[in-house]
Amino acid sequence: MRIGVFVCQCGTNIAATVATDRVVEAARAMLGVIHAESIQYTCSDPGQRAIIDAIQQKDLTRVVMAGCSPRMHETTFRRAVQRGGMNPFMLEMVNIREHCSWIHPDIDQGTLKAIDLVRKGVARVRRQAPLSGSTVPVTRAALVIGGGVAGIQAALDMADAGIPVTLVEKGPTIGGNMARLDKTFPTLDCSSCILTPRMVEVKNHDNIKLIVNAEVDQVRGHIGSFEVDIRRKATCVIEQKCTGCMICQEKCPSRAPDEFNAGMGESKAISIAFPQAVPLVAGLRKEHCRQFVKGRCGVCQKVCPADAIDYEQEDEIVSGAFGAVVVATGYDLYDWTGSYPTYGMGRYPDVITSMQYERLLSASGPTGGHVRRPSDGAEPQQVVFISCIGSRDESVGRPQCCSVGCMYTAKQAILTKEHIPDSQSYIFYIDIRAAGKGYDEFSRRAQTEFGALYIRGRVGKIYPRGGKLIVMGTDTLAGEQVEIEADLVVLATGLTAARGAGELARKLNISYDGYEFFTEGHPKLKPVETNTGGVFLAGACQGPKDIPATVAQASAAAAKVIGLLSRGELETSPVVAAVDRNRCVGCFKCRDVCPYGAVEQEQLPGGRAVAHVIDSLCQGCGLCNVACPPSTISLKGYTDNQLIAEVVEVLR
Amino acid sequence: MINLSRTVTEGAPLVAEIERRSGQRVSACLQCGRCTSTCVAAHAFDFPPHRLMHMLQIGLVQEVLASRTAQLCLDCMTCSMRCPMKIDVAGVIETAKAVADEAGLRDTERDLRLFRREFLRNVRRHGRLHETSMLLRYNFATRKLTNDISLVPLILRKRKVHLFPPKVKNLRQMRRIFREINGDARPAPEPETGAGE
Repeated sequence: MRIGVFVCQCGTNIAATVATDRVVEAARAMLGVIHAESIQYTCSDPGQRAIIDAIQQKDLTRVVMAGCSPRMHETTFRRAVQRGGMNPFMLEMVNIREHCSWIHPDIDQGTLKAIDLVRKGVARVRRQAPLSGSTVPVTRAALVIGGGVAGIQAALDMADAGIPVTLVEKGPTIGGNMARLDKTFPTLDCSSCILTPRMVEVKNHDNIKLIVNAEVDQVRGHIGSFEVDIRRKATCVIEQKCTGCMICQEKCPSRAPDEFNAGMGESKAISIAFPQAVPLVAGLRKEHCRQFVKGRCGVCQKVCPADAIDYEQEDEIVSGAFGAVVVATGYDLYDWTGSYPTYGMGRYPDVITSMQYERLLSASGPTGGHVRRPSDGAEPQQVVFISCIGSRDESVGRPQCCSVGCMYTAKQAILTKEHIPDSQSYIFYIDIRAAGKGYDEFSRRAQTEFGALYIRGRVGKIYPRGGKLIVMGTDTLAGEQVEIEADLVVLATGLTAARGAGELARKLNISYDGYEFFTEGHPKLKPVETNTGGVFLAGACQGPKDIPATVAQASAAAAKVIGLLSRGELETSPVVAAVDRNRCVGCFKCRDVCPYGAVEQEQLPGGRAVAHVIDSLCQGCGLCNVACPPSTISLKGYTDNQLIAEVVEVLR
Repeated sequence: MINLSRTVTEGAPLVAEIERRSGQRVSACLQCGRCTSTCVAAHAFDFPPHRLMHMLQIGLVQEVLASRTAQLCLDCMTCSMRCPMKIDVAGVIETAKAVADEAGLRDTERDLRLFRREFLRNVRRHGRLHETSMLLRYNFATRKLTNDISLVPLILRKRKVHLFPPKVKNLRQMRRIFREINGDARPAPEPETGAGE
């Protein structure tokens, strides 16, 4: 065993509080050390050269590098020892900077601690074995889950880069929530005008395969090679035959709620969500259809000129292989009707959500863009907006800011004034959060140019009186109770994770928070990654965000996928768990605790079942090591042997 | 309890009048309170200047016009100088005073009103303030002829006031200024931009 110890001075960063020559001297006396030296800047080119020379001249087989944190330069020195001809994992980094010189004022004590740390490193590297990773092939195709603006952007970016993309959408059309918006802040761009061309692009792109009315059923595999089963739900319409003529919808006798219009209008059991839907294909909702509920009707089948109706249609499983997955499942609006009894819980027809109001403002909405209140179709004069419904409200278990409510409320107040010039809007708010580019100016304009009156305070109660809704609130700036005789009340409902997000996360093996928003790999530095390799996040499924942020994140996720799939094969980290088959008792506690599904059962020829680690799935977290009762599963490079030896040396 | 739908609707014409004459937008006020933080007279007001702005925002204009705040403002303009939204707060208050004057709303602080009137008349007449005649007229107007009379010997001895009016180089120009701002002692509309720093 021939160990070399290199003690970095890091200029004065280390040398000021650690006498590196004394550390070198002490290292020379340690078991197995045949070479030790101190270098001024080891990470520099001559510094690395010195390591390589020492390896080659003295035939070193292991190296201890005492210097900065491994987070800083471990990769640098692994490469250096590899260039010197060693296995890169026969290097041990000892942190005598962040953990020692930077935090100790006294040079004697600092030096003693540095010597202890080096002794610990030497003990560990003595028990190190050479490690090498394996490679896995990469399937050059990507799956995008969710066809809102995030999914559309990610799919188009990847498809433009030449990657075959499959876009799966749960609903009958892509476009997501953005397709329902009238205009967008802070520029008042028409939402459809900027989104629908992108939707059409998706449909016509040679590299994109679009599957609507579909959900992910099962996910197998790992980064570079996922196998995904997609369930396409029966809609009783043959997609290839339907021309989108909408005759079926016209003739259908069964009324059904209009989901696209957030319940503001009425639709039919067989329908197309909206005229710009992509694909422009009808779908039948069995729960509302007379043919299915009463057993006889068949009108749509009779009138369809394309012979596209098939009542016998069944769910279909489409399987695909993908190298990477982008999750873009977006958001749903917070359902306020369950938790705000003082606002009527949905009893008053003229208390509506912001999305419902969005549809009333939209020219393509149920009222053709004329604002009419639901109860009597009258044009409202006094419109009250209430911010933070299901946001910043611990009492309903939603402490987070929805991050878009302030802005879309300002927008809706502006649009209200544009639609009804003699109207007066009141906005009850807690704080005005307008941090984006041009956002504060926009919400100021709502007040100065469009006369929206901002009242700081939360509304206590809403009750009807003589055709009006009495809104009882407070003006905390005036220190007074206030009331408004409103014609229409719009609730700025917050954003929640899309329904079923948690279930999808479990299929994909990615983490999610208590509100079912998916968790990014690192809040700052890995904003689109997840803790499962090859699965990326885009848009509001990761947390409430507005359109610009969503699109930016979608493009970032696409860039990550393009980078990943541009490689023919992937090298996996060798720091993975391994099972000692001879000692494994087959309890599978390791399989139960593994967050990545990396442990499987292996049948030995004698019939004994033992645990087996799938290298490409293992992330090296070490949970299984802790759970294993006879300590037969361990992390390569972090064996019990090594860790105990380190502790013993430190305690000596 | 304030009925906002009522106050906003009913207050709108007068608020618009104040906005037009002052050239300011009360809706631009952020309610940051910097005007109040810098106000030297706020301790004597019944509500501070930022509250006055908010009351105009929510249509409580009658309450503003009848308030001591509108009457006791010293016109020192510090609030206008420091407003981050560049609102001429003092201009708004000044306009409110004038509107209140015209509406005959300000009899609670009669002496103040008379002082202001006599002050401006005096400046218009002489080009600059002539304290002696101004104080005499003020005492006549308030019907308190002996007001501060005990101070007269002291003031005379210190040569703080003069019996004869001061000489101004270009009295005609001075008078033109007054003519241009409505031809009487009423405050003029402030410029659009407000008083900057």
